[in-house]
Amino acid sequence: MIQGQVRTSGADDVEFSTILGSCVATCLFDPVARVGGMNHFLLAQPPEETRDGGFDANYGLFLMELLINEMMQQGAIKTRMKGRLYGGANINADLGEIGSANAAFARNFLAGEGIEKVFEDLEGTRARRIQFRPASGLVRCREVEPLAAPRDKPLARPQSALGNVELF
Amino acid sequence: MSQSQSTGTQPAATRVLTVDDSASMRALLRNALVSRGFEVEQCEDGQEALEWLAGNEVDVIITDINMPRLDGFGLIERLRSSALHADRPILVLTTESSDEKKQRARQAGATGWIVKPFDAEKLTTALRRVAH
Repeated sequence: MIQGQVRTSGADDVEFSTILGSCVATCLFDPVARVGGMNHFLLAQPPEETRDGGFDANYGLFLMELLINEMMQQGAIKTRMKGRLYGGANINADLGEIGSANAAFARNFLAGEGIEKVFEDLEGTRARRIQFRPASGLVRCREVEPLAAPRDKPLARPQSALGNVELF
Repeated sequence: MSQSQSTGTQPAATRVLTVDDSASMRALLRNALVSRGFEVEQCEDGQEALEWLAGNEVDVIITDINMPRLDGFGLIERLRSSALHADRPILVLTTESSDEKKQRARQAGATGWIVKPFDAEKLTTALRRVAH
């Protein structure tokens, strides 16, 4: 899985994997419905005209919401979900503390939504490889060489129809 | 509505009700709208919004679709069949991108459709346009 993606499944033979540098992966799992899902995000740069040096939490929130909504469509219930957070390393000095900003956003999101965080392996300076089995909720996390991680940069907000207003 | 004011005073701020079950989204919307001069009320789902709207007025409603108890479609349908809110502008703000859902919102009586992540400037422009 790459930056900006969301995947969910309840199938026993499915495994999602990703490599994280400063990005964060959120693994959510509903143990009753046996449905899980993962996203892989980097807070985006806000649109040019509103840029104030920060990162666009609206974009991280969008990937969190997509994850939760897709899991709910497969029978998961939000109050039963357990969360595990990985990544958010500060590998590339040029990006400042973007890893920590991603980590803080993810922690705040779970706390604010009342989703129990059962584990986190965040920040530091090492890249991580994550393997997640959505139906069982099992996660394996290994540290890998920083060179293995994609050179993540906060992209501008996707230029698609997102945020467009259509009046009927 | 509370828009008419005597000359020389500031026009009343546009009052917006946002309906979303995500606490993070509520905080983000409140921040974006209050900083742009809107007065903001918030509810956590369609049911709470219906109960609040039975005794309160706003200029515009912004609602999510996927919510517990009463979803956005249900909320719009119920408001359109009430005398008080039959003409109230209602904007849907959602991660749903399917045409089918959009058409369903339109048929239920939504005024407009916005796909998340929202753009604060575009949202503000739309709010000012539909508020009356």
